Amino acid sequence: MRPTGLWFDRYNAESRVLETRRSRVAGLLLLACLAALPFTVGPWLLGELTFLFITLIAVYGLCVTVGMAGQINIAQSAFVGVGAFATAKLSGMGVPFWLCIPAAALITGAVSVLFALPAIRVRGFYLALTTLAAQVMFPIIIMALPMAWLGGLVGMPVVAPRLAGVNLGTTTGLYYLALVLVLFCTWAVFNIPRTRFGRALRAVHDNDTAADVMGIPVARIKIEAFFAGALFAGVAGALTAYSLQFVTATNFTLFASVWYLGMLIVGGLHSPLGAILGVLFITLLQEGLHTIGNMALQTGGAGGTIFALNSVVLALCILLALIFEPRGLAHLWTTTMTAFRLWPFPRT
Amino acid sequence: MIELIQILIEGTLVGLVYGLVAICFVVVYRASKIINLAQGEVLMFGAFLLWTFTAGARAAGYDLPLPVALILTGIACVIFGMVMERAIFRPLIGQPAFTIFMAGVALLILVHGLAQLLWGARTRGAPVILPEGALSFGPFLFNTRLLIGAVFTVALTFALHAFFTRSRFGLRLAAVAEDHTIALSLGVSVRQAIAVAWVLSTLLATVAAVVLLSGSILSLEVAHIGFKALPVALLGGMESIRGAPLAGVIIGVLEALAITYLDPMTNGAASGVLPYAAMIAVLLIRPYGLFGWRKIERL
Repeated sequence: MRPTGLWFDRYNAESRVLETRRSRVAGLLLLACLAALPFTVGPWLLGELTFLFITLIAVYGLCVTVGMAGQINIAQSAFVGVGAFATAKLSGMGVPFWLCIPAAALITGAVSVLFALPAIRVRGFYLALTTLAAQVMFPIIIMALPMAWLGGLVGMPVVAPRLAGVNLGTTTGLYYLALVLVLFCTWAVFNIPRTRFGRALRAVHDNDTAADVMGIPVARIKIEAFFAGALFAGVAGALTAYSLQFVTATNFTLFASVWYLGMLIVGGLHSPLGAILGVLFITLLQEGLHTIGNMALQTGGAGGTIFALNSVVLALCILLALIFEPRGLAHLWTTTMTAFRLWPFPRT
Repeated sequence: MIELIQILIEGTLVGLVYGLVAICFVVVYRASKIINLAQGEVLMFGAFLLWTFTAGARAAGYDLPLPVALILTGIACVIFGMVMERAIFRPLIGQPAFTIFMAGVALLILVHGLAQLLWGARTRGAPVILPEGALSFGPFLFNTRLLIGAVFTVALTFALHAFFTRSRFGLRLAAVAEDHTIALSLGVSVRQAIAVAWVLSTLLATVAAVVLLSGSILSLEVAHIGFKALPVALLGGMESIRGAPLAGVIIGVLEALAITYLDPMTNGAASGVLPYAAMIAVLLIRPYGLFGWRKIERL
């Protein structure tokens, strides 16, 4: 809901994502803070933030496939893995990083189309199961392929990205690379719902039979939704490869896919804002659990218990969100903001 | 030739175990329209409960006789199934398929984490319930444990099929599988159906765990059987009890053949990928499975 007294006299002004001057100033300030961060904080926090950006890009992809198009995808981590392996392979062949990242995205997209093809025949649950098949098959295939292709059981080293002689493989370089890409992805994901493609996704999400009747090519749109989601996954995968410097198939598990989905659900499926809030919330929660776990380790606890506790907490978060607030943190955010704007009047 | 037939026999017996796990999927779906992704985890939980009441109790100084241990395990499974239904799936009645799917995913992680918290990640020997060894007929060997399991699976299939198609109560469950809202408006209790489905499938999963694990190794990885049995359930058709063991035999035999003939050429990947490749092929060619219900979509 818009605050009172906000009106537009040009179409351009109305179609902006950030409508008020105050929100634009706040956005610029946030951007300036993020850009200035490497000068003030240590490498640990920068590494964490890079990881957060990578996760956010992957969850943006899910936001397109799952949130906008309503197609369940539990193979996002495998798709990130495809992007990572593509980057490792290409960088090993001497391809510069600014070509590597889009190429990795496109390769990941092509792989996802392969698994989205059953969309021509099936829907709902069954389509989700083909993504499950993709996730389960991914490590098996990577490990079984000859060593020289994709590293097999051992994994593959990644050549650090370089731009005009500057090594971007450092903590700071990777942070800026991730920041630029996350900004681009944020711009893309906030604008997708406003395009023709985005409206088609929405129609398929709401009722695919009705969308079909209205003349939307449902199967094609579903496949395109997977493709679009996997593009984000490919970018996230490329960044993962550059930041890990060495990729193995065991980095990209079903559990990671479920974490991504969990973040999206806790945050809220229906807007990209949900992805941001969910990633922030779950990452903070994870960090908190890690800290507690480290303290427990020092006092003589077991490492496996922390992992187990981690998954129990995640599962409870997803279940609580599904049962009590299916619209997620994004809905809580908007209702709070509305109440704040309308104060002291009761909410509408 | 003898080797080939031996492979077919082993594939069939293992396939019937897959069929038994697939029946758990089908029972839940047939009575509540929920694909329970966490079935493998439920099976693992049941196996751990069984271990607790047999080997675990012995280690703690209470040597329970086997029948008592089995009954206690059964009671614990019923309670476990009821808790899952009451805490997770009852609040979600009438929600869209996506929500229920995600609840299944969350349940998967939850049960996995809980099992790790309660019993730890280390591997241990599973209690021996069924006799070990092999029967030989001529030149062929039959694993006794799997043979008993196979006979049980076939008998169970006919019993459950009769229950779901002949008894009044079973037909009521089928109505719930068709549509929650319509079932409610016809006076069928969706809650009761889902509770029955969960308790039944938890019990069946534990039985499957006995057949699968008796005398072998019990660990958290046991849960992978769930993802192996899911393609089987899809191939047979999610609504068809009789389809599950048949599809299990198909997948089991194909897998056994792949292990023998394709794995040496593909670094051991063929048998791992095969069930899922089969699943995708089934979805493309016959999305409702071999014997599933063919649904007509209306606006």
